[in-house]
Amino acid sequence: MLSPYGLDIVESCLTCKMRAERLFCDLPTAALQSFESIKYATAYPKGAVLFVEGQAPRGIFVLCKGRVKLSICASDGKTLILKIAEPGEVLGLSAAVSGKAYELTAETIDPCQVNFVKRDDFLRFLKEHSEACFKVAEQLSEKYNVACHEVRALGLSHSAAEKLAKLLIEWSSKNGESMKQEPRLKLALTHEEIAQMIGTSRETVTRLFADLKKRQILQTKGSTLVIRNKAALRSLATTG
Amino acid sequence: MSLSCLDCGQRADRVFCDLAPEALHEFDSIKSIQNCPRGTVLFREGQVARGVQLLCEGRVRLTVCSESGRRMTLRIVSPGEVLGLSATLCGGCYEVTAEAVDAVQLAAVGRKELLQFLHEHRDVCLQVVNLLSEDLHVAYDRVRSVGLTRTRHSHGQHTPLTH
Repeated sequence: MLSPYGLDIVESCLTCKMRAERLFCDLPTAALQSFESIKYATAYPKGAVLFVEGQAPRGIFVLCKGRVKLSICASDGKTLILKIAEPGEVLGLSAAVSGKAYELTAETIDPCQVNFVKRDDFLRFLKEHSEACFKVAEQLSEKYNVACHEVRALGLSHSAAEKLAKLLIEWSSKNGESMKQEPRLKLALTHEEIAQMIGTSRETVTRLFADLKKRQILQTKGSTLVIRNKAALRSLATTG
Repeated sequence: MSLSCLDCGQRADRVFCDLAPEALHEFDSIKSIQNCPRGTVLFREGQVARGVQLLCEGRVRLTVCSESGRRMTLRIVSPGEVLGLSATLCGGCYEVTAEAVDAVQLAAVGRKELLQFLHEHRDVCLQVVNLLSEDLHVAYDRVRSVGLTRTRHSHGQHTPLTH
């Protein structure tokens, strides 16, 4: 079935081919059937806000397709992007479990398929299926790991240059390019969004990219970024 | 402080410890009590997680460290909290360093025994999910305070939270 956003919607988790590769979704048959009966498959366009920081938790959102930007906001409106969630992640998990307000804002950056489960249904599901409970614990643990990493990166980096270099190295290792002589990255985020990921201004990011290009450490080809001098970028990531 | 969870007078006030009788007996049989002096490093960031430590008495500081060795306090853990939970469940490395601020008493449980225990006691598994959610809320608060405070002020300076 095709949705208005060009997404090939997978209506049933029971027939989803991606299930085995995804941490939360790879459930035993009984749990999967139970999950299937409480979830609502929904398609969202790019730019849709799934939930807002501070809002009472309605439920969880299993990201099936597309990517979602997770951010936190200061009272003056400044935004920090915590991470870009990929398919297979469960969003709004800790808020739904604890009953506290969502700690983050989740906004789609691509057209997305999301399976929504109401909080009460989800809590009942967890009580009945201990395997699912384990998977939730694993997801929460991973998120905790990311949060600690973020505190370390933001709090202990000396400069914006160091943080940007670390981010680029992290991206290249995630997409399997890090072993190549000249790793390539498809830049999916704007300078403004990159600035929000490393806690600096858009102007600083633009200036840093210009400087890295001038020093032949990076090269851009359209929206593709080529790391031409890995050693220099690594050095910048450790020394600032 | 009691060496047995069964005789502990603090149990009812502590989220993890307030277990059903059967689960409590089993937990008591798989835990071992450790007493450590102030300043003891209970585990280090990057070390493979061997298990969890339930803090019975005293306080523990959790810190993160940069490559250059600078440290930042993530938070101070109080009695009743479980240390090393997320790393142990994931089978990964500890994300933080835990250091005793006072003389502490801990109930330590190895990874294998903990996983077995959780598989057998669904209620405790839910309890663990709740604890992890709480930990995550605190961690996000820390990200907010560190990241967004630094965004507003100068970026090149050290945060006053480092030591």
